[in-house]
Amino acid sequence: MLGRVLKEKLFLAAVFILAFLTVLPLFHIVFSITARGLPVLYKGGVEFLTGTLPPPGDGLGGIAPAIIGTFVLVFLTSIVGLPVALLTGIYAAEYPNSLIGRAVKVLLQIMVEFPTILVGLFIMQVLVIPMGSYSALAGAFALAIIMMPYVAVYTEEALREIPFTYREAAFSLGLSRFKVVFMVLVRIAKKGILTGVLIGMAKVAGETAPLLFTAGGANRVYFAGIDKPVGAIPLLIYNLVQQPYENYHEIAWGAAFILMLVFLAIFIPIRLSLKEVKL
Amino acid sequence: MKSKLLVGLAIVTLAVALTGCMQPEKTVSPASEQSPAPTQTTTKTSVKRITLIGSGATFPQPQVEKWITVYTKINPNVMIEYTGKGSGGGQNDFKQGLVDFACSDPPLKESLWNDLKKKGQPLQFPIIVGAVVVVYNVPGVEKLKLSNDVLADIFLGKIEYWDDARIKELNPDVNLPHERIIVVHRSDSSGTTKIFTTYLSLVSDEWNDKVGAGKVVDWPVDKQGRGVGGKGNQGVVTAIKNNPYSIGYTELAYVLKENLKMAALQNKAGNYVTASPETIKSAISRVSMNIPSPYEGYKEDMKSLLNADGENSYPIVAVSHMVVWEDYPDEGKEKAIREFVRWILTEGQKDQYVVAGYVGLPGDVAEKMLKEVGWV
Amino acid sequence: MRDTLKIFLLPFSGLVFGIFVLMLLVYFINSMEIFQKDGLAIYTTNQWIAAEDDPQKESYGVLAAIYGSMYTSILAVLIALPLSICFAIFVIDYAPGKLREWLVIATDVMAGLPTIIYGLWGAFVLVPLLKDYVMKPLYNHLSFIPLFSFEPSTGYSFLSAGVLLGIMVTPFASAIIREAYRMVPFTYRECVYALGATRYEATKVLIGYIKPAIVAGTILAFGRAIGETVAVSLVVGNTFNIHPSLFAPGYTISSLIANQFGNAFIYRYMVSALFAAGLSLFFIGLAVNLLGIYILRRYRYAG
Repeated sequence: MLGRVLKEKLFLAAVFILAFLTVLPLFHIVFSITARGLPVLYKGGVEFLTGTLPPPGDGLGGIAPAIIGTFVLVFLTSIVGLPVALLTGIYAAEYPNSLIGRAVKVLLQIMVEFPTILVGLFIMQVLVIPMGSYSALAGAFALAIIMMPYVAVYTEEALREIPFTYREAAFSLGLSRFKVVFMVLVRIAKKGILTGVLIGMAKVAGETAPLLFTAGGANRVYFAGIDKPVGAIPLLIYNLVQQPYENYHEIAWGAAFILMLVFLAIFIPIRLSLKEVKL
Repeated sequence: MKSKLLVGLAIVTLAVALTGCMQPEKTVSPASEQSPAPTQTTTKTSVKRITLIGSGATFPQPQVEKWITVYTKINPNVMIEYTGKGSGGGQNDFKQGLVDFACSDPPLKESLWNDLKKKGQPLQFPIIVGAVVVVYNVPGVEKLKLSNDVLADIFLGKIEYWDDARIKELNPDVNLPHERIIVVHRSDSSGTTKIFTTYLSLVSDEWNDKVGAGKVVDWPVDKQGRGVGGKGNQGVVTAIKNNPYSIGYTELAYVLKENLKMAALQNKAGNYVTASPETIKSAISRVSMNIPSPYEGYKEDMKSLLNADGENSYPIVAVSHMVVWEDYPDEGKEKAIREFVRWILTEGQKDQYVVAGYVGLPGDVAEKMLKEVGWV
Repeated sequence: MRDTLKIFLLPFSGLVFGIFVLMLLVYFINSMEIFQKDGLAIYTTNQWIAAEDDPQKESYGVLAAIYGSMYTSILAVLIALPLSICFAIFVIDYAPGKLREWLVIATDVMAGLPTIIYGLWGAFVLVPLLKDYVMKPLYNHLSFIPLFSFEPSTGYSFLSAGVLLGIMVTPFASAIIREAYRMVPFTYRECVYALGATRYEATKVLIGYIKPAIVAGTILAFGRAIGETVAVSLVVGNTFNIHPSLFAPGYTISSLIANQFGNAFIYRYMVSALFAAGLSLFFIGLAVNLLGIYILRRYRYAG
């Protein structure tokens, strides 16, 4: 009898502790990054956001090329990837029972988990070398391949959740299927689709591996064109972490703080407006 | 509400992208005359921006960064971006046509040179002299002497502990702890590695047979689990700083900057010297730097600078190089590159612009190079 | 009547397939060279000889990387599994409403957090912590056990990578397990408690019902872990080392590619070798994912 009670207590303790341990790292991470990153922003001031990388051991300078690069990349990625993603998601939602529809769903699931470094390598081989330069465009294509499955899955789910009555009503008005989908259903699912788009954008803004061999990186040049190398905040952090200079480490923490802030600012409000998030 | 957020985001990104785009980068400049004054270029003529992209060795990187900072201040219409990723990475990028210039410590190999010639005429210039030093991090040990065979055996993995009898023999007054030696090496394709392993191959037959020289080698210590790979010279320094009882090799400038401890190595005369401007200059003065013409860069033999004669010469001295094309499709870029190289080989060699840990090219070498290509 | 919608949409879906197939092709074609030269030795040996003078002397074997990838991912899953299961139990059974919501949001944030942030935190915070409080004590007292037999020097090790990956993939596993556990019909719970079970015993039974979901969650977490690049490369040590100990440094396929691809083109066979390594990653990931999807499909609860 005592054995059972003891097991019960141990069990409850274990469950509580392990559940706590699951989310503890998040708080520790947020805390560490804020503790080490925020002072850097104070020290750096506005120049941290507008300046360029300083020489080693010589102050904080700024990470403007990386910030601009991230913006440019997300923008280009959206232009390149969103149309395909949305339309693919719509296809999967509209023709769920067709062979291609099912195959598409499986493919999307596979691509969501795909190792991102392999995408970068592929784009380097196929785009960077023929083009003769690392470029924002190449980085955008790599990121688009990664963003696409997320947006497509969200789009598909959002469309599928629309009650059938709306569809019936639209058809009963004599609209062609094309118009039903684009003029009625998509409008209704707007919120869900937009959520997917924003989550996709937030995700690719934080990606590093696909940019390693495509974007090239920029430390001093603010922006040289979409067919020229471009920086990105995650890429910058990755490079600075591997160097021994104290000031570079500080810059890395500061940049990480900014990245984390931006990510949370986009992700949390979206998440709060949703019931569940597809990972 | 969400759509407003998205639209706002889009507008901001668009605005930023457009401001960037509004500074045109291409120039179609007529051959405007450049005044020969080395410190001032005619800044009043061009509003057109030129961006030069380069990548390559981390061996000369602190020096290259300094040059870029100074040069772009004098020439505000030129922007230069240099990414340190190892000599191999630079050669790689240059071969693939991904960068405008590359820096490499070892002179390019003939096979690579021939591959490049299929695309155009490559030119290779020596730009600065540096030294590869052996750094270590052993708490309490301020000075360390390492003979050539002890050095080789440490990196071969044959000497495992810091208080090994052979190390003690060379350093009787030093308190060596009984700790395993962690060997830090490069994880990327590195000219610094090439220089160091070439030296080891020269002084140790066993090293020459077992491992050999190269930008990337199979380090015996890895299999023993005592090897750590660092990316770039910076990565090696980071690893050494973070790990007590480690030893590694890197360029002198990084050591001075980070206040690390260097081992004294045995030179050809049998003396133990540490790297410094004097010991480096002593080595250069003894060696006729057989630097070939920039058109035939592959002919250079890095070995000629290693293990130089002289009582006070440092044994691991090396030259780093910059590789460019003779012709570029874009005239503005071609001019900018030539100006940059010219500046490096003239102004850049002056004491005020040389970073601690490097030594300028001996007097006539730079001039000779420029004469060969006619960029004087 | 022609379905213009389908005709309009089909090319785009086709494009997606096309890109995927093209990627696969590019990897196959580029790996051909090293397969022709060395056969499968690329996968079965452990060396990295990049000879510049004589291409025939080049010899690459990524066994250490494959070993490291598997080792760290399995370790990650071993950590993620108990964490996700207990998390699911806690969230569904014991957490009050608001807390439940915020806990779930927390794991979702963890799932989406940029991996470089994990890497930065891992390199500067986690590794020193593990080195001083876990590895050194364990080595000092228990080094006779093979798992602990390597002297921790830098802290970069399979353990550090495994723990970091475990933290990173737990949210993925927990999402699936949590969802499945939530779906267990309420009648089952009533039933078990009616029989007089303690909470522990009841939970054991209920978890038994969602075993397939646990398997699926595990497998998907494994797939994520093995594909992770930047976070791992900052903590694993990046050395070609095959060693059973947790504290030894090593390599993973993705960090090998990240480190070596930048200089691969000046060597005759290195590009091919790296593509072959990528191909192996591709297949391991693909196999694992397909397995996971298959299992999940078969046992997906209605809803």
